[in-house]
Amino acid sequence: MTTNEILINAEGVEKDFGVVKALDGIDLSIKKGEVVVIIGPSGSGKSTFLRCLNLLELPTGGKILFEGHDLTDPNVDINKHRQKMGMVFQHFNLFPHMTILKNMTIAPMKLKGMSKEDAEALAMGLLKTVGLEDRANAYPSQLSGGQKQRVAIVRALCMQPNVMLFDEPTSALDPEMVGEVLEVMKSLAKEGMTMVVVTHEMGFAKEVASRVIFMADGKIVEEGAPEEIFSDPKNERTKQFLNSIL
Amino acid sequence: MTEWFADLKADFIKNFITDNRWHYLTDGLKVTLIVTLLSTLVGIAIGVVIAMIRSTHDKNIDRMRKGAPYYLLKLGNALCKVYLTVIRGTPVVIQLMIIFYVILASSNNKILTAVLAFGINSGAYVAEIIRSGIMSIDQGQFEAGRSLGFNYVQTMRYIIIPQAFKTVLPTLANEFIVLLKETSVSGYVALQDLTKGGDIIRGRTFSAFMPLIAVALIYLVLVMFFTYLVGKLERRLRNSDH
Repeated sequence: MTTNEILINAEGVEKDFGVVKALDGIDLSIKKGEVVVIIGPSGSGKSTFLRCLNLLELPTGGKILFEGHDLTDPNVDINKHRQKMGMVFQHFNLFPHMTILKNMTIAPMKLKGMSKEDAEALAMGLLKTVGLEDRANAYPSQLSGGQKQRVAIVRALCMQPNVMLFDEPTSALDPEMVGEVLEVMKSLAKEGMTMVVVTHEMGFAKEVASRVIFMADGKIVEEGAPEEIFSDPKNERTKQFLNSIL
Repeated sequence: MTEWFADLKADFIKNFITDNRWHYLTDGLKVTLIVTLLSTLVGIAIGVVIAMIRSTHDKNIDRMRKGAPYYLLKLGNALCKVYLTVIRGTPVVIQLMIIFYVILASSNNKILTAVLAFGINSGAYVAEIIRSGIMSIDQGQFEAGRSLGFNYVQTMRYIIIPQAFKTVLPTLANEFIVLLKETSVSGYVALQDLTKGGDIIRGRTFSAFMPLIAVALIYLVLVMFFTYLVGKLERRLRNSDH
């Protein structure tokens, strides 16, 4: 599915929190259709980097080019570009005061001017793909963690994004619910969605990733195809990390 | 005993029936309700705006680029703080009289004066109530809204404010009830509200008991009624948190 068209290009991205330098010059280009999985020890800056890609975190240096537009340019309309970058969070962040259907339809209706009927049809179709069409009128608090995360994924998909960013999507889930969320992500990858995934699920990385990035101390230490990284890591830090978790 | 009842009856007739004096109470009640409702709206409008400026400042100022929006927000926040300090630091009666005799001296619209005075006054308290509600909403809700492509104001409007409002509803209702009773000083600018109406009767009949107790009872019933309504509303809002 991978093409040569570059969707996101991060150039020398830095994030200095004052006390710590969370990102220290990250260069990474992501092609259309790629599934890039970012792994690394906690505090390595992987989540910060992911959040820099849609400017939830403002980089203190470097550039983020998305579809050719520099998102770090203060004059760029970041909201327009974010509509094309779906994001899934560790803690789901569903809107608790809205039903599942409303959670999914509010953004396409308010931001794209989609009619209620069209938005609901789109949402119901997506809910069906994750097996939750019968929960459309429930509130988030009535769902299990795994269900919430599946809704969060399809909520982001309702905006028909060109890339999906996943920030440790299974870390807050009970172990028995991890599978159902990973399944949804796998089928999304199969459909050719460009994905950037920060995760600790090495099985997912091995199976789905087109490229694995290992980060430590705010830098990319090693990157390559999953087979290379997992069976034949070159860098000492990578070896250490993989030994400690596998 | 019967004599006491007869006295009471005579007192009642003198204070409320003769010359249709009960009109002072019903007309006054109308004014009290109009002023309270309108100034609540003014207060909430002011409160939401101030709360948004203040919480935007507190949440974001440290990680903003130093451009025009940064300085505008700093200025806005400073102005809000001045407003809060002045309004909360002076009695509402004085504010009412300043608006009537100084700011709107050329106009004689007492209802407008009262709505402005109580609205501006209430806005200061509502602002702090709503700000506490906004600050209590998880940062993840902001991020989810922004990541979908909502701008800051839209995120506030569709996602944060409705949740914050729900959280602070009981406190806000309390503010409304306080406001309802606070409007009883409207008589200072000769606005004939409920309290003033009762007072006029007292001036005509030279008896204090009946009109004052009647006025007190009407306030009490109103407060109890609104408390009941708010309880109902709260239960309905709670439907989404099973």
